[in-house]
Amino acid sequence: MNKELEHKFVTELQDNQNIVHKVCTLYTNDKDSHKDLFQEITIQLWKAYPKFRGEAKFSTWMYRVALNTAITLYRKSKRRIATQDYESVIFKIKADEYDETEEQQLKLMYKAVRQLGDIDKALVFMYLEDKNYTEIAETLGITEVNARVKMNRIKTKLRTILNP
Amino acid sequence: MTDELDLLKRDWQKNEANLPKLSYSEIHKMIWKKSSSIVKWILIISILEFVLPQLLYLLPPMKDGIAFYENIGISKYLLVASIISYVVAIYFIFQFYKRFKEISVLEDARNLMKKIIKTRRTVKHWIIFSLSSIMVTIIIMVIGVFLSDNIADAFPHLREGLQNISPEKLRLTLMLSIGGFGSFLVLFMGGVYFLLYGLLLRKLKKNYRELKQLEI
Repeated sequence: MNKELEHKFVTELQDNQNIVHKVCTLYTNDKDSHKDLFQEITIQLWKAYPKFRGEAKFSTWMYRVALNTAITLYRKSKRRIATQDYESVIFKIKADEYDETEEQQLKLMYKAVRQLGDIDKALVFMYLEDKNYTEIAETLGITEVNARVKMNRIKTKLRTILNP
Repeated sequence: MTDELDLLKRDWQKNEANLPKLSYSEIHKMIWKKSSSIVKWILIISILEFVLPQLLYLLPPMKDGIAFYENIGISKYLLVASIISYVVAIYFIFQFYKRFKEISVLEDARNLMKKIIKTRRTVKHWIIFSLSSIMVTIIIMVIGVFLSDNIADAFPHLREGLQNISPEKLRLTLMLSIGGFGSFLVLFMGGVYFLLYGLLLRKLKKNYRELKQLEI
């Protein structure tokens, strides 16, 4: 039984690992921390898995656990050596696909998002993942109206970071 | 701005292909690794906080202390105090266990943070209680020394050496050293505790405040 559960879990996580990687990309600055956070999220997902009864999609359920781990449970490890432009490793912006201004703009945007606080990042992440405000509000434990207000504030904040 | 965020959204979704891909066995290995979440740290530190003060009583000087308490006539007060403190400790351990069990990663972020803070608050109250009971013990001891008729009797094996010291001077020295040592112990333990938790929960508290502020 346990082996079966284990197999099911690992397979589902493997299929949906992109969600976790994206959370790690937003919340960490180097490869080691990325791996660390990925591992902690995996452990938390596995611990909570017996309670997952399939009432939601596995991926929907993952968002909550992954974000909770990143925002609340994860303790940043000491090794925070600034590695060479980490985001360019994950988000390889292919020059031929964009014109220069767009590429430049994207680079600045990614940089600006990384400078946001943990909660702001969570909102931006869910926005980028195409989640609606109801889902964003439910995941964070705030009202939908407040989620919208917060998102507008983040947009203003990003604007200030981009055009100081 | 909205346009820029939408531009980012398009790029974000396109970039999925560039994300790392972990194999089945790599993920499988991870599920058996030990968690290092703050909830686990709170559990470890709390257990230490419940256990360590009890270990103090196993130290030889503490055992000698029991004879000393008897000699200065405060042992029955200290016995009552220690029974009370055990009852209170059991209550706190029960409360802590209950709150700890309530913490679930499946809650929404705000509730999860609230429950962690509540669990930690239980430990904080325990610490305040146990530091104050150390303080009360120290005060009882100082009063015991103050009221004791012949303080040198409290140290049977040192009686000869103490003969040259005037009882008043001995009494004062003893009161000052017990009081000084007690205050140092309480301040030190309190300092370590608040520093430890302060560092551990700094991020969590900041995030919780941010979510809570939204509701105002």
